[in-house]
Amino acid sequence: MDINAFNAANTYGAAQKLLTPERQSAGVTAPKISDESGFNPEKLVSELSNAVGKSENAATAYMAGRADPHTVVEALASAELAVETAVTLRNKVVEAYQELMRMPV
Amino acid sequence: MNDFVKAMSAAASGMNAQGFRLRVVSENVANTDTPGYHRKTVSFGNVFDNEVGANRVTVGGIKLDESPVEERYDPSNPMANEAGYVEASNVNLMLEMSDGREANRSYEANLATFQQARQMYSSLLDLLKR
Repeated sequence: MDINAFNAANTYGAAQKLLTPERQSAGVTAPKISDESGFNPEKLVSELSNAVGKSENAATAYMAGRADPHTVVEALASAELAVETAVTLRNKVVEAYQELMRMPV
Repeated sequence: MNDFVKAMSAAASGMNAQGFRLRVVSENVANTDTPGYHRKTVSFGNVFDNEVGANRVTVGGIKLDESPVEERYDPSNPMANEAGYVEASNVNLMLEMSDGREANRSYEANLATFQQARQMYSSLLDLLKR
């Protein structure tokens, strides 16, 4: 298997960069997506990337005999939940977009 | 980090600690017949994990049970001292068995909280999927 398949964390990191507000140079002000209500997509993505990265580290450490199984199970379970959260939210967003597109003008 | 992940982290640390405890118990049982062996005892400590933000349990340390070892009068034994006594260990198998059973039960409890936290979070997400 290609070892790069394990490097999903890099891809998540790249996605994280896309969400950082550095788009002002193009003359467009990035919309402020986080507010006081506590919903913060940037933080969600960084947590997802953290959880997946941690689970990969734990799995490789376990295979090398350096980690105990409980750490691996914990890291994998939290990564699974994080990915599930992200996928569910994405599906919801895509669904909303498609609903808008179906709207007769 | 949400609270479910914190709960899972704490439960995993508990499982780890109970696994360590079972290891010490089995070491004691294995050394029951070792001459002069003092049984080991484990103490647990509470530590706040800053990265996760949860109170986890750690193994505080291993201590030796300093109670005197059992001495049997057997002058014909080649291991006997001048007075004719043979040293055994101070392991009490009944004590070790109950300690091991307690580790098992505690492990099961931690496993149950782990599964509970995971299941609660999954059901919360299922709400969004409909």
